[in-house]
Amino acid sequence: MTASPIAAPDPLRSARFRQEREDGWRRLETLVRKAEAGGARALDYDEARDLSTLYRQAMSSLSVARDISLDQGLLDFLERLCARAYLVVYAPQEPVGQLFGRLFARDIPRAVRSSGLPLLIGFLAMVLGGITGFALYAQDPAWFYTFVPGDLAGGRSPAASTEFLRNGLYDGAGERADALGTFAAILFSHNTQVAILTFALGVFVTAPSFLLTFYNGLVLGAFYAVFHERGLGFDLFAWLSIHGVTELAAICIACAGGARLGMAVVLPGDLPRPEALRRAGRPAVMLMILAALMLIVAAVVEGFLRQLITDPWLRICIGWGLGALWLSWLLLAGRRT
Amino acid sequence: MTRIATFTPPEGVPISMTIASAGARFGAQMLDLLLTWTTCALFVLLVAYMNLISWNGFVTLLSLLMFLLRVPYYVLSELVWNGRTLGKRIVRIRVISADGRRLTPWQIAARNLMKEVEFFTPFTLVLAAWGGALGGWGVGIMLVWVATVTIIPLASRRCQRLGDMIAGTLVVENPKAVLLPDLAAAAARLPDRFEFQPHHLDHYGRYELQTLEHILRDRIANDRVWEELGKVTNAIITKIGYAEPVQPGDRRDFLMAFYRAQREHLESRRLFGDRREDKHHARPRTPPGPLP
Repeated sequence: MTASPIAAPDPLRSARFRQEREDGWRRLETLVRKAEAGGARALDYDEARDLSTLYRQAMSSLSVARDISLDQGLLDFLERLCARAYLVVYAPQEPVGQLFGRLFARDIPRAVRSSGLPLLIGFLAMVLGGITGFALYAQDPAWFYTFVPGDLAGGRSPAASTEFLRNGLYDGAGERADALGTFAAILFSHNTQVAILTFALGVFVTAPSFLLTFYNGLVLGAFYAVFHERGLGFDLFAWLSIHGVTELAAICIACAGGARLGMAVVLPGDLPRPEALRRAGRPAVMLMILAALMLIVAAVVEGFLRQLITDPWLRICIGWGLGALWLSWLLLAGRRT
Repeated sequence: MTRIATFTPPEGVPISMTIASAGARFGAQMLDLLLTWTTCALFVLLVAYMNLISWNGFVTLLSLLMFLLRVPYYVLSELVWNGRTLGKRIVRIRVISADGRRLTPWQIAARNLMKEVEFFTPFTLVLAAWGGALGGWGVGIMLVWVATVTIIPLASRRCQRLGDMIAGTLVVENPKAVLLPDLAAAAARLPDRFEFQPHHLDHYGRYELQTLEHILRDRIANDRVWEELGKVTNAIITKIGYAEPVQPGDRRDFLMAFYRAQREHLESRRLFGDRREDKHHARPRTPPGPLP
């Protein structure tokens, strides 16, 4: 080793051990730093080959040094170098390219098909909420003001005239596309934020997710009751269908994802709770990704199509047609042959 | 207290990583918040100042940015930089998979989605309570919530928050590896004036040797006055029974020479299976607790 400052070999065994290998460690350190900064792709062919050889040499050095050397500086360096090199060699970055294909073709549909009970909980929360909201309004219209926050109602309350309510369902056709895009973006951000909260709250034993979705259903039921009373039930159904089939399903699916986490906490079976949570985590996250995707589509449909298309039958066809597409993708894709 | 996660790679040499402290993680999170919000505020101000886009475009931009700054920023940055957000890079910590293999995207998504209930919502509630916007019940809920999400990672064996448990991830330190010069080699270059006999070297063990190494490295790195080392030198001379006097000016050379001789001795004992952990090595081990 010409680089070392001492020409004569050191009689101390561990110092000699270090002198002979030091250059290799330093080169490995440079390569590790390069790979950490730019990923494994930053290395060229020679460097990648050297990395694997030098990594194995450093590991064997570490093993020997732990036995023969008392030099704390050397041991600390090798421990850290090996830990970092290990991560570069065995835990490199996942290639993002194939990821999305696999996600859509296989992972999401499978996660949905394996989550029957959580999905039932999610959709049940929404439906029960809707029925309760409708029934309570039928008893006493004052309930409407309890459920629906003022800014969400936008004047569409039991006190409004039938004409005003009808116009609310069919206006917007004259607006500029620019404004529609803004509307869609706001819808998407808001709804996805709600969905993420619904999902993540599920870890507190499902109940908050369920309640949040139930509350969504309550608002919807009360809303529907107002329009139903004025004979506008069908028009509201069409108005809601075009985006709501996708949007409300997405909220229910986010709730189902949360329920999956919550059920792992409540009913972990034979597993310890952290392990049960970890196993439920993967399908739950797939459900949340699906919900986010559906919310993007829903926001575009709500922002643009709902404002541009005013024929109720066409609205229903688009909305439920979209629903059928989602369903066929989720039921058919990624089956094991 | 530092906690260690150990992995055994296929090479069969166990390697250990230090679990990042709660303080480092909170610091990284705060840095992330600061960096993202400052950048976005500057960007929005710039766009508004230059009057580039219409009001509608501006509202679109704002609402999308507000959304992207929460969960998506953390997912994307950990995906792109393999488990390191900007804040984590600055405080030198990173996320790894608890099984020691590559970090998969769903793990990154899972741990960051949970950030919504573990950080953002409680944080907003704390700010709201501080501003007096919460009623009595609100403050109560806020306190329970904050206590829950704080206690879980502190009580967890590997300092995992809920998101880490669901995703199966750990946050570990990613320290710089600096190879310090070999003190024994440096000592060999000094004039050889001190002789140590085997009976001088039978007193200390690994712990004392490495403590001495730490003291010496500290002196060399900070270029401090070596004469201050009188206490250390005298303690060693008394303990090992070194007969010749050591002048105050020779303390550095004496300590370096002693370090080298002691290390050589202990390392060769080690080769024969005699691992002396500390100065109590000669005493027979007694089982703990009172004997009948």
